[in-house]
Amino acid sequence: MNPDATVHPHIVGAAIAIALFAMIAATFWWMLHPPSSFVERQAKKAASELERMVGSIIVLFTPEIVSSHMMALAAKLARGERSELLALYVIEMPYTLPPDAEMPLEERAALDALGAAETIAKNNGISVRTEIVKARSTKQAVLDIAKRERANLLVVGDHREGRYLGAPLSRTIEEIAADAKCDVLIGVEGKHGTLLVGEAADDQTPHT
Amino acid sequence: MATAKTAPAHPPELRRAVTAWGSFSWGYSDVGADIFVGLGLVLAAAAGATNVAFLFAGIVYVCIGLAYTELAAAYPFAGGGPYFVLRGLGDIFGFIAGWAVLLDFTIDITLFAWSCVDYSSQLLPSLVGSSHPWIHFGAVLSLIVALCALNVIGVRESTAFNGVVAALDIVSETSILCFGFLFAFAPRILIHTMATAWPSPYQLMLGTSLAIISFVGLESISQAAQETYRPASIIPRTSTSLILTILIFALSYSNLALGMQPWHPIVGPHGQHLAFWQIFPNNPDNQGKAVALLAAQVPYWGALAAFYVPVLGAILLLISSNSGVFGSSRIAYSMSRLDLLPSVFQRVHPRFRTPAVSLVAFCGLAVVTLVFASLPSLFPGAVAFYRDVLHGEGGLDFLADLYAFGAATSYSFVFLALIALRLVDPYTPRKFKIPLNAPVRFRGEKTSIPVLGIVGFFGIFSILVFTLMTHPIGRIAGPLWLAAGVVLYFVYRRHRGLPFLRSHPRNWRQHQIDILRTSGDLELLDQYTAALKAADERAAERA
Repeated sequence: MNPDATVHPHIVGAAIAIALFAMIAATFWWMLHPPSSFVERQAKKAASELERMVGSIIVLFTPEIVSSHMMALAAKLARGERSELLALYVIEMPYTLPPDAEMPLEERAALDALGAAETIAKNNGISVRTEIVKARSTKQAVLDIAKRERANLLVVGDHREGRYLGAPLSRTIEEIAADAKCDVLIGVEGKHGTLLVGEAADDQTPHT
Repeated sequence: MATAKTAPAHPPELRRAVTAWGSFSWGYSDVGADIFVGLGLVLAAAAGATNVAFLFAGIVYVCIGLAYTELAAAYPFAGGGPYFVLRGLGDIFGFIAGWAVLLDFTIDITLFAWSCVDYSSQLLPSLVGSSHPWIHFGAVLSLIVALCALNVIGVRESTAFNGVVAALDIVSETSILCFGFLFAFAPRILIHTMATAWPSPYQLMLGTSLAIISFVGLESISQAAQETYRPASIIPRTSTSLILTILIFALSYSNLALGMQPWHPIVGPHGQHLAFWQIFPNNPDNQGKAVALLAAQVPYWGALAAFYVPVLGAILLLISSNSGVFGSSRIAYSMSRLDLLPSVFQRVHPRFRTPAVSLVAFCGLAVVTLVFASLPSLFPGAVAFYRDVLHGEGGLDFLADLYAFGAATSYSFVFLALIALRLVDPYTPRKFKIPLNAPVRFRGEKTSIPVLGIVGFFGIFSILVFTLMTHPIGRIAGPLWLAAGVVLYFVYRRHRGLPFLRSHPRNWRQHQIDILRTSGDLELLDQYTAALKAADERAAERA
C-alpha cells in the first residue's frame, strides 16, 4: 500500500453509498418476487393441501377389501411427506358370534396382509404401525380409529368380489367415503377390473 | 382397408424454461459489459461533463428500455427489435432495423474481444496495445476465431455460468461503488472538475454519442422472450431491473470518476499530480480498461479489486463478445425465416447442427473490422492516412463509432414501431405499458400514443445526429453498411418474387394467438381473443 494514501470520507459520499446499496437491493428483491399466476397459485394451494392431507395416513385392509397395491402408494406418500402410517386390518364379527370369538382363518389372513404391509414400508425406508381390530361394523371401526389417530387420509383398496362383478366399490367403501371426516383415497386396481376387460374387448371389435 | 394418415405434428417450439434471474443475466451479460468499454471512452471525450453525457444517454436509454419492455412482454417472440419493426412498419423497415442490429452484433464481437484483451493487459503487460500491437492484435483475433469455432461446433455457454458471472459482477460493482463513494468521493472535486474541465459542445456531443454504447444490449432480453416462462409477467420486471441497474452503475461510475480522490497519487509525465479522469484523454490503453483502473483506486477494497476486477471484467467482456457471435447468427436466422434475408442464413451444418454459414460470415466481418481498427497501430505508415483522411480514428474509437451508429439507428426504428403497433394493433394485451399515454382514436378503435415513446425517439434521433456529426468514420461506414444491405434486400426480394417496398402478407392474428397460447399467461389469450371478437363485431356494425 502506498504510504501516502489518504482517505477522505464525506457525509455526502456515505449517503450516496447507502442509497446505492439500498436501490440495488430493492431492485433485485422486486425483480425476483413477481406476482404468481393463477395456475401457480392453484399449484401452491394443492401442495399445501397435500401436506395437510397426508400428515397421518391409515391404510385399511379387511377380508373383503384388498389394499396391498395401495399400501405401496401410501408408503411412498408417507416417505415423501414424512407422515405417520398405520396399517389397519378390520375383521367384521358376525352377530351370531361373541365379539371376541376366535377367527383363525381371518386372523391368519390379517397377519399375512400386515406382514406384507410392513415389508413394503421397510422397502421404502419408513416405519409402519399395524393393528388388527375385531368389530361388528367395519365402517364404524374405521371411523373410530381414524378419529382416535387424528388421521388426515384413509387409503382404501377395492372390493375383492366386486372386481369381477363390475362394482369394485362395495357398500362398506362407499359408506366410509361418505361418513369419514378426513380425505379418503380409493384405489381400484386396474389389471383385473371388468372395465379394462370391457375396453380391451371394445378395442378388438373391428371398425366398419 | 386404407388407414387414415395422421395429421402433421406441430413444429417443435422453444421450451419456456428461462426464469426471472435467467432472463436478467441473459441481458446483463450483454449490457453489463458495456460500462467496462464506455466509461473510458466517454471520460476521454466529455471530460468534466461525463456525468451529464451519461445522464442524457441514460434518459434516452430508459425510454428505449421501457419501449423494449412493452414490446417484448406483448410480443414474446424470438426476433427482438427487427421483429417489432416488421410488425409495426412493414418488411423494408424491419429489414433496415435488423441490418442495423446485425452491424451492432458484428461490431460487438470485435469491440468486446478487444476490451477483453485490454482488461487482461492490466495483469499481463505484454498484452498492452500501444507497446505490443501485434500481440494485442493476435490475441483479439484468436478470441474471435475461437468463439466462432466454439459456436460452429455447438459448444454452448452455460446459462448457469452466465448467471453466476452476472451475480459476481453485480456484487463486485456494488462493492466498488459503495466503497468508492464512502471513502474516496469528494463533492468539491466533482464540482471543481465540472467547472474547470467542461468540454466544448462538439466534445459533449461526441461524449453523449459514445455514452449510448454503455446501454446497448436490451435486444438480448427480447431475444430471450420466447424462451422466458410467463414473459408478460417476468419480462417487465427483469427488463426494468436491468434498466435501473445499468443506469445506477453508469451514473455512479461517471460521478465517482469525476469526483474521486485517488487512493494512490497519480503522477503525470512531468511530475504533476493528476485527477483520476485525466489519465484517459489521448491514452487508448487506459480507455480500454477504465473500470479496472477505477477499482484499483478505491480505498481498502481496491487492494483486492486491482487483482480480480480485470479478470472478472475480461470474463464478462468475453461473454458479451460471444453474445455478439450467436446474436448475429440468431438475428440473421430469424430475418431469413421472415423472408428478409436469403435462406442461406438458415442453413445448418450437417454434422454440428449449427448455423455455420451465419456464424462464419459475421465473424469474418468482425475480423475485417478488427483489421481496419488495428492498422494504425500495426503499420505506423498508415497513421498519416488515418489522421488526414479519417481524422485520426482507429482502434477502439472506430469500433465505438459503428457501434453507436447501429444502436441509434435500430433504436430509432423501435420507437417508431412502438407507436405504430399501438395504432394498428390495439387488441394485443399489454400487461406493461410505457408510462404517459395520450388517448386517441384510430380507424374507429380506441387506443393511445406513448408520449415517452415520442420523447425517446427524438432523444435517440438526436444521438444518431450527434454520431453522424462527430464520428468521421461512423457517418461514412454506417450509412454504407445500410445501403449495401438495402441492395442485398432488393436483390433477394427480386429473386424470390416478393414485393420490394410492400410487405409480404402474414396472418398476424393467428401468429399472436400461437404466441400467447404457449406463453404461460392464458388469461392474456382470453383477453386477446375477446378483444378481436369485439373488434370484428364493431367492424361488422360499421360495415
